[in-house]
Amino acid sequence: MAEKSEEILTIFSKSEELLEMFRKGKAFTEELMYENERLRYRIVQLEREKMDLSGTLMREMERLRMENTQLAQKIEFFDARFQEIEAENKDFALRYVEVEEQNESLANLYVASYRLHSTLDPAEVVQCIDEILMNMIGSEEFGLFVVDEESNELLLAGFEGEVEQRIGRGRVSFGEGLEGMVAQSGEAFFAEGAGDQGEVCACIPLKIKERVVGVVAIYRLLSHKGGLSPLDHRLLELLAGHAATALVSSKLYAEKARKLKTIEGFMSLLRAR
Amino acid sequence: MSGKTLLVVDDSATFRQLLCMSLARLDGVSQGNITEAVDGQDALDKLKEGNFDLVLTDIRMPNMDGLELVRKVRNDLKRQDLPIIIISTKGSEDDIQLGMSLGANGYLSKPISMMKLRELVAEMLPS
Repeated sequence: MAEKSEEILTIFSKSEELLEMFRKGKAFTEELMYENERLRYRIVQLEREKMDLSGTLMREMERLRMENTQLAQKIEFFDARFQEIEAENKDFALRYVEVEEQNESLANLYVASYRLHSTLDPAEVVQCIDEILMNMIGSEEFGLFVVDEESNELLLAGFEGEVEQRIGRGRVSFGEGLEGMVAQSGEAFFAEGAGDQGEVCACIPLKIKERVVGVVAIYRLLSHKGGLSPLDHRLLELLAGHAATALVSSKLYAEKARKLKTIEGFMSLLRAR
Repeated sequence: MSGKTLLVVDDSATFRQLLCMSLARLDGVSQGNITEAVDGQDALDKLKEGNFDLVLTDIRMPNMDGLELVRKVRNDLKRQDLPIIIISTKGSEDDIQLGMSLGANGYLSKPISMMKLRELVAEMLPS
């Protein structure tokens, strides 16, 4: 009897333990279910977040793509503008050089004409023409001839190099040689070469309107000068006009001064009597 | 460059006037700062009297030529620092070499480009 009740007690205590185990199992299962629920909710939350983020990302990518396109267009625009400005810059640089050359040319013309008209001494005018031909044009051998109206010949008034040997007697008749022909026709002559072979490379009549008062003949240019430039042509054209007036006016002034001196001498002689 | 003084030596008054006009366009150089000399001797006298920042000289001149002037500036006046530019109708390699060997700092053959001249002068003038 006692054994039975003890056995029953053991069964009760075991069943109690089992019950306790079931209770704990239930609590654990409930806990797991709660955790499961929480995780499901979290997954849903994360999925929603993911979808939101994906939307944002897509929008951001779209925005960046557009921005990129805009920037590429801007780069293209700036690139084109840069090339345009670079071309303009080159054009300005070329124009600057051109303006400088014109400036230089004007300065040369100004100084040449200023010097030609700054004196009434025929020798100084001749010297000035020589200086222009030598320093500004770069002539190594040249001759300046003036018309002698009495003999209708060209007289050598100034020269550089071996012109005297070339001319011989120091005077050339109208129509004789290139110098005489230029004096007769009144037309300038320009050769292509620089006159290395000894031939005349330029021959210019010095004219007042249609009247030829002299001739400038350039026989040889300086060895380092390739040929006559457009500036040289302009200078020679200027010489043709200004040198002619300078030569004639200085000659007239010198004649007038000489006549005045003669008259004054004559007058003083008369007064003395 | 400010208030630079230049000495232009050439027997041609026309060329001197052209040089002065062109050089006066440089920054810090005015027409009043440019002195003219008619030959080497005149230039040497002016160099002894005044102080110049740069000399431009022709070669073919009466009394004393440009090469002699360069020689005297370097040897007699002991002015090694003074920049000298030769501007001459003599433009062969030998002429240039001779001028440079005597102590010139630059050499230009006539007829010259004024743009090139101004560039060379601006380069040589002490800052």
